[in-house]
Order: sequence, then structure tokens, then C-alpha cells
Amino acid sequence: MILRLVERTAVLLVSLAVASVLVFGFMAVLPGDPARVALGVNASDEAVAQLRQQFGLDRSLATQYVDWLGGLLQGDFGTSYVSKVAIGPQIADRFQVTLWLVVTAMIVALVLAAPAGTVMAARHRRISGLALSALSQLGVAVPAFLAGILLIMVFAVKLGWLPANGWTPPAEDPGMFLKQLVLPALSLGLVQGAVLTRYVRSAVLDVLREDYLRTARAKGLRPFPALWRHGLRNAAVPVVTVLGLQLATLLIGAVVVERVFVIPGLGSLLLDGVSNRDLLLVQDVVMVLVVAVLVVNFLVDLLYVALDPRLRVSR
Amino acid sequence: MRRLNPSLVVGAVIVGLIVLTALVSFVWTPYDATLVDPAIRLAKPSWSHWLGTDKFGRDVLSQLMVGSRTTLFVGLVAVGVAAVIGVPVGILAAMSRRWASEVIMRSNDLLLAFPALLLAIMFGAVFGASTLTAMVAIGIATVPSFARVIRSGALQVMRTEYVLAARAAGRTPFPIALRHVLPNVTSLITVQASVSFAIAVLAEAALSFLGYGTPPPTPSWGRMLQESQEFLFSAPRLAVFPGVAIAIAVLGFNLLGDGLRDRFDPKLEDRR
Amino acid sequence: MKSYPTRAIALLGAALLTATVAACSAGSGTSGGSSPGGDQSLTIGLVAEPASLDFTTTDGAAIPQVLLGNVYNGLVKQDESGKIVPDLAKSWTVSPDRKTYTFELVDNAKFTNGAGFTAADAVFSINRVKTAWTTSLKAAMDVVQEAKAVSPTQLQVTLTKPSNGWLFRMTTRVGAMFSQTGVEKLASDPVGTGPYKFGSWKRGDSIVLQRNDAYWGTKPFFNQVTLKYFKDPTALNNALLTGTINVVGTVQAPEALTQFTSNTKYQVIEGTTNGEVVLSFNNSRPVFKDIRVRQAIRQAIDHKALLDTCFAGRGKLIGSMVPPTDPWYEDLTSVAPFDKAKATAELKAAGATGATLRLRLPTLPYATSCGQVVKSQLEQVGLKVTIDQLEFPAAWLTTVFKNADYDMSIIAHVEPRDLGAVFNAKYYTRYDDPTLVSLLAAADAGDEAAQTDNMKKAARRISEQAAADWLYLIPNLVVADKNLTGLPTNAITESFDLTRLARS
Repeated sequence: MILRLVERTAVLLVSLAVASVLVFGFMAVLPGDPARVALGVNASDEAVAQLRQQFGLDRSLATQYVDWLGGLLQGDFGTSYVSKVAIGPQIADRFQVTLWLVVTAMIVALVLAAPAGTVMAARHRRISGLALSALSQLGVAVPAFLAGILLIMVFAVKLGWLPANGWTPPAEDPGMFLKQLVLPALSLGLVQGAVLTRYVRSAVLDVLREDYLRTARAKGLRPFPALWRHGLRNAAVPVVTVLGLQLATLLIGAVVVERVFVIPGLGSLLLDGVSNRDLLLVQDVVMVLVVAVLVVNFLVDLLYVALDPRLRVSR
Repeated sequence: MRRLNPSLVVGAVIVGLIVLTALVSFVWTPYDATLVDPAIRLAKPSWSHWLGTDKFGRDVLSQLMVGSRTTLFVGLVAVGVAAVIGVPVGILAAMSRRWASEVIMRSNDLLLAFPALLLAIMFGAVFGASTLTAMVAIGIATVPSFARVIRSGALQVMRTEYVLAARAAGRTPFPIALRHVLPNVTSLITVQASVSFAIAVLAEAALSFLGYGTPPPTPSWGRMLQESQEFLFSAPRLAVFPGVAIAIAVLGFNLLGDGLRDRFDPKLEDRR
Repeated sequence: MKSYPTRAIALLGAALLTATVAACSAGSGTSGGSSPGGDQSLTIGLVAEPASLDFTTTDGAAIPQVLLGNVYNGLVKQDESGKIVPDLAKSWTVSPDRKTYTFELVDNAKFTNGAGFTAADAVFSINRVKTAWTTSLKAAMDVVQEAKAVSPTQLQVTLTKPSNGWLFRMTTRVGAMFSQTGVEKLASDPVGTGPYKFGSWKRGDSIVLQRNDAYWGTKPFFNQVTLKYFKDPTALNNALLTGTINVVGTVQAPEALTQFTSNTKYQVIEGTTNGEVVLSFNNSRPVFKDIRVRQAIRQAIDHKALLDTCFAGRGKLIGSMVPPTDPWYEDLTSVAPFDKAKATAELKAAGATGATLRLRLPTLPYATSCGQVVKSQLEQVGLKVTIDQLEFPAAWLTTVFKNADYDMSIIAHVEPRDLGAVFNAKYYTRYDDPTLVSLLAAADAGDEAAQTDNMKKAARRISEQAAADWLYLIPNLVVADKNLTGLPTNAITESFDLTRLARS
């Protein structure tokens, strides 16, 4: 157990280091001189050179990399080339927004998927199971932004029940925050829920085939109580993995829904940064996203071990 | 005689229809899909234009037909890239020593940290937004899932008696990979390809929506959907047709993937 | 205590202004005391969010849209009819040789950092353009020889040569007046003398402006104005429909306007702007050296149909680089009327039939739309057009604008009075025309009549020479709650004028 923890941590650290090189290297080949874009095209070469110097873009790539990474490790994300303000607080702000959205969406997804998937597995030969199965197939096939557009048309524009878009921080106005969160969280959550349902179903099916569950049922327990008492923990293992993966990819995947609902999240920060050639900002955002994914995967790995006793002894 | 499973049939029919539509569109469409004719813009569905026309007066049906080519192209490139890289990586990981395999799979996990949308946005910024760059990005982002699946399949093959025998006979790894491992994971590749295809189609739609997808005037379902935004109230049909096309295509590839999985692996018949 | 007399003077000043300058329609003279709007606030939806708040070092129209006229004042400003009228300068005189301008400044203007506005600040601001500004616009001050403060309320600016253009540029962001003690944090905390002061900026979402209670002129009605930014035009419309915002400042999806025109809750305002949507030619390319080719392209395009298709028929057709609000505007749409047969014949005569032209579009909705129509129309007269899209701004600016690596492009030139800047051998149009250069020089140096006359000739010159094609003039399309007043019909300045907004 301890060995595994050490091993995983080492892998995480190495991955983070490699990722930082990749991200930095990628940004270095991005065409379009950030200084020139910041100044406009008619800027004199001297002005551009001056700005490059001010940003430290005239130094060697290695120096820039070390400087950047050193800053990151101390929590200093640097100053934006374009807006000339500190990047760290901006990312923190946007990350928080996206996290609210994504976590709520995942809760919606889980609340939908856990019962639906279980029913689909337990009744997989009956009409109700098949119908749910078909429904989940349809859910997977609808792009999240299309779901968002439809939800807006119905619940915001036609019925007027909820705001069509916008974002209010929860501390500022909790009521408005919740109202504005409903539709975007639903459009992400419904689609992710459909995906998740299918994993829940196959996980539960696997468990249903296990000997201990057969034994339990042979002793006369009905399928749902049997599952509840013996199977849930085991079915949770693969589901948690998928959940972690979804959470990680959604941090950037939410960008489309953020666009539809005008939510100032991390994805829109990235898109703005790319079009403004705010190179350092883009580099920081990408790095934060990558770190988030790696850390989530790391945590899922640990959870995995905690959830499944068999894995604890196998290594 | 195996029971025909409905997923396979429905999926195959849908995918077959899309391929057929794309093929037909090379030789015949009702109208030139990119012909702009302001005189008949926003025409409602009629006998001459079955699905009506868009804001440029282009025939929607013709665009949908030609758009199916883009959709297939998108999927093929993305899946092709993913398979060409992911399959050898997966097999290599399965056949390598423990530490080498570990390094490969950890790099693979690292790539997983760059989701498709992120890569596509970054690639779009570097190479300019085009269908091809977006698809290569999506393909690369799909490599890890390919590699994982293929690795686990290849590991099973490596434990089989004939591979053990071949190794005992002193065969070098490369022929073993080619002669024994690859043929035995083709079913896995097919299943994974079908599922990845569906993901690629969805990704293209999302990227087109953000402006990083197929550039005009090439018809694409994703861009049709994006262009229809303005007309959600005055002509919602412009959003409905491409939206339904995307959903059906994704459904088709997903069903096909599920069906294939059941077919290749009968003991899993009940799953998915 | 002290504010009483100053207020009285302000009132007097305002009264004098309205008396002497008839065109100044600044509205009711309720300065002093609380504003009629009390605590009311307003939210306006816009499209392009600024990347920074410092227009001295960052390009782009989004910054002056928020700040100019609202947070910053200039010495002079442009009114809705295009006339140059007083702002921080009460009046001004021009010397007979047209090289020395003497401005009489208001004496009661205060910066939001507490400092009073004096001629020294004006000198500082003008000189600072030459020293600290980095955007290309700084060239507007090249003509200034010296700016000096004669007294705290009198400023004298001497030019190296007569220039009408200079005074006009003073109405734009280049003429914004900064405080000598308030330029440290321009990017995040702008300090000006305007009716609003900068409140806060939630990046990626909105900018809040607060009423400046120490404003020297007519105080604005609203206590707080929020400018909220929407990347997606549909989301912008939805926000108005569901009451999240009160105004759609610039309608980007004109096709969706029907949902507002048919609803009595809203008013739709349609006027003109300075934004000419130009189908630009790279005049240095051999194929475009032949005037017949350029003219044929202009005649091959059915502008009416194009406007109907790509901007729902909103907007105005123009035949040259002059919007109708400029004093030298003439309707030049008949210079190159739509004539497919003639265009085909001209191309054939020039030997250009079958030529392939590369239309490189920025990733902007109107350019994408119009580009597809242009392609289709040009192909009907025997040209081949390939479209490619360049990410805007970065990729387009580098490829087309800077390196002129293109045959044709489509972009809206939104700067006011930009004919001379755009049609220029050094600009991306690569339009080298000595006749035009001398016309423009004469216009800049001459008196008002000479300026108008020469500008008319210049506009006709580029139209007849087919230096480019002008697809249409972007309309000023605003949708707002019915009871909102004071929204400008024409948007011809760089600023989104918030000063006269009120609720009836």
C-alpha cells in the first residue's frame, strides 16, 4: 500500500515535469509574435523589440522555461502580455467557475446514471431496461451544446423560468447563482449522465455475475437488495475511474457550454488567450488543465485501491 | 448460428446509409451544394428543395449529403491517426519488459491529460483552423484509449499457447507481433474504431461551433448547425436537420461498436 | 462649501456652450444635485471585450468603445452629425496660417484621482502620445511641433504644417486627456475626467462604470452602467429577451432581429457607422495591376443581393470609402453598377478569365458570410476563387495585413476618416497612386471648403480606379428596452456614448 503510494507519487511528479516541457515547447512554436500582436501591426520594430525585452521574450528559451517553472512552483503565474495584470488570480477565478459547473454537472450525471444504469443491468432482458438503454444511446449522441441551446429555447426564452445565460458568483447572490447554474449544469450533466449510465450498467452486470452475488441470490435475496448489500462497492470501482476521467476532460470540454451560456470559465479564458496571443496566459491555463487531469487521475488511482480490497494485496 | 443482435444491425444500417449518401454525393446531389442564390434564400421545404434552403439560398439536402463526406473524412482521419499510433504502442507495451511497458503506459497516461478539445484549439492556433488539423488533434487525443485497449487485448494473446510456443521456438518479437498478436486484436481495433468514430463526429461539431472546425465553403454538419444559430426562431429547421444528422451518425457508430463487441466476444453478449 | 460657486460656474459654462454651439445637443442642464436617475442602473450587452484598458499600448476598438467620452474626455469631440464640438476645450481659434491652435479650457474639470484638469495636463497628454504610446495611432501626433500651457486654462498647439486631420484626430482616443499623476495603472485602473468613473472589471464577463459625482458637466442619469460581453450573438439576443440586459449594443445576428421588431417591449434603432466592409485587393499583384480586372470584380458583385444574404439587408450600400456622416459624402454606388455581362467581357479582354484568386478571410462572422457570396458571384463571371480562413486577429494580421500575402480579403475598416490610411502604398492594400496622395495632402492643408472638395475628389478617385470594392456600410443596430432614451442613432465615434442615456 505504502509502496504503491510512493510509486504513484513518483510517476505523478515525473509526468508533471514532462508535461511542463511539452506545454512550454508547444507555446514556443506558436506562430505570431505576442509582442507584435499586443502592439498592433503597424507598431515600429523598436517598440516591438522593447516590449519583447520587457516580457523577457528576448532571452533564451531555456532561461524562459526555468523562469516560468520556478515562478509556477512559487505560485507566481506571471503577468499577462496583453492585459498587463497578474495571471494567477485570473486563473484561480475562472477555475473556480468551471469547477462549480463541472462538479454540479457530474453530480447530475451520477444521480441520473447510478439508478438508471443499475435498472438497465438488473432488467437487461426486459422492456424497461431496453428502453432505458435506447434512451441513453440517444443521450450520448446529442452534442452538449445542442442540448444547451434547446434547454435555453424552452426554459429561458419560451417559458421564462430561468435566465438564458450569465454567471453570478455564489457569494454575491446565491439565489441567482443557483438559477443560472441549472441549465448549463443540466446540459452538461444529461449528456455525461448518458455516457456514465452505460458504464454503470456494465459494471453492475459484471458484479451480478460474480459468485458471491449468485450465492446471495441463491439464499433468496431479491436482485436489488442483493446488489445493495454486496455489489455496490465493487461496481463503484470502474465507475469511479470513468467519473474521474470525465471530470478531468470536462474542465476543458465545458468550454462549448460555457460559450453557449456566457459563463466566464477556464475554457473561455483559454480561447480568449489564444486569439489575443496572450502566450503566457495560454501556457499557464494549459498547464493548469494538464495538472488538474494528472492529479485527478492520481487521486482516482488511490481511491481505486481504497475501494477494492483485492487490489491492496495484489501489489 | 449466432443470434443477430439488434445493435449491430441498426448500427450497420445507419453507417451503411451514411457511407452510401457520401458516395452518391460524389456523382449526384439535387443541387450544387455550394451554389449561392440569394433569390431563393430561406425557402421552406418544397418539392424542388425537399429540406428547403439556407440563408445563402443553398439547398439544405445537398449540403447534408456533401456534409456526410466531411463527417466520414473527419472520423477516418481521426480514427486513422489514433489507430496508426495507438495500435503499435499498445502491442509494444504488451510485449515489452515490465519497466519499458510501464514507461510507455505512463507516457500514454500523460497524453490523456491533453483532451481532444484542448489539443484541437492549440493545433488550430498553430496550423490554422481546418478540418484536417482539428482531426489530427482529435486523433492524437484518441491514441491513449486505443493503446490501452489494444494493450490489454495483446496481453491476453501473449499468454496464449501458440505465442508461448512461438517464443520458445526462438521467433523474434516483430514476427510474433505481426503474425500472432495483430490478427488477434483486429476485433478490438474495429470496436474501438467505431466508438472513436462517434467521438470524432461529436468533436467536430463542437469545434465547428467554436470556429475551429471545418472552414467554409466546404459543407459540414457542424458548421451548418453553427450557421443556423441566428435562425433558431425564424427557421428552426436549419438547426434541426444537421442536429438530427449528427445525432443519428453518432448513434449509428456507437451501436455498430456495441454490436461488434458483442459479436466478437460472445460471452459478453449481454453487456452494453 | 466651495463647490457652490464652482457649480454655478459650471452651469454658466454649460449655458454658454449651448448658446454658442447650436449643434451641441448635450441635453438638459441638470448639473449639481442628484441626478434624475438616482440609484438606477443599466446593463448593456456588447460583443468584443477589451484585452486591456490601456489604449495607449493596446490596439483594438473595444477599449475606446468603453472609455472614450465616458471615462476620458478629449479637448474636442464629434457630435452625432459628425461635427467637431467642444469638450474639455470651451472654444478654440486657429491662426491665419492654420498652424497654431489656441484652446480655452474649462476650469472646473477634475480627474477621478482628485487632481484638477489644467493646460499642463493637456500638454502632458499630447506629448505623451509621442513618447509613451506604442500603438500605430500615435502617428497622428507627428504633425505637432509644440504644445504649451499659456495659462492653466489656455493651451497652444503649434503644428509643423496645416492639418485638418490633426484636429479631427483629437476627437479620437489619441486626443484623450490623462492626468499627470494618473497614468501608472492605465491597463487596469484608468483615470479620466469623464461623466463615469471606472468601477470594476470581471474579466471574461463585464466592466462596470459608476457615475462620476464630481463630473464637471451634465451628470449622467444612471448611477451604474454595466457593459457585459457576449462571444455568441445568439446568447446576446437571449440575454435581452430574458431581461438579463437592457440593451444589445451591437447586433451581430441581424437575421434574429425579427424577434424584437415584432415585440412591443423593445425598440430597434438603425443608423450608420464608420465601418466600411471592404473587399480589399492586393494592388501589388500582377492580376490587379490591370484596372479592367478590378472594375470587372466590382461590377460582378450584386451588392444588394450580397447585403440581403450576409447581413439580412441591414446596412447601407456605399460606392467608396466615405460614410454618409462625413461632410464630403457622395453617393458613388453608380460608379460600378452590377453588370454581369460587362464584367465577364472585361475580364476576357484583360485575359483574366479563369484566373484563380485567393480570398483570405478573417474568422469573423460577416467576413465568412460575405466571402461565400463573393466567391459564388465572382465564379459566375469566369474567375476561380479559393477561400481560406485565417484566425482573427493574430493570423490574419500577420499574413494579410502585415505581409500582404493575399489576393483579396474582406474586413471592416471601422476607424473614422480612414480613406487615406487604407489606400496607401504602404498599407496592406498596396495601393500606390500619386494622384490620390496629392488630393489627400491638399485636403489636409486647405480650409474647410478645400478639404471637402478635395476629399470628394479622392473618394471618387478610388472608386473609379476600383482600388477595392466596398461591400456595404455596417449599420448601427441597437435593440433596447422601449423606455430607454438617449441612445445615439449613428455610431460614428470610437466611443459607445453612455452620457445621454436615460429611462423615461
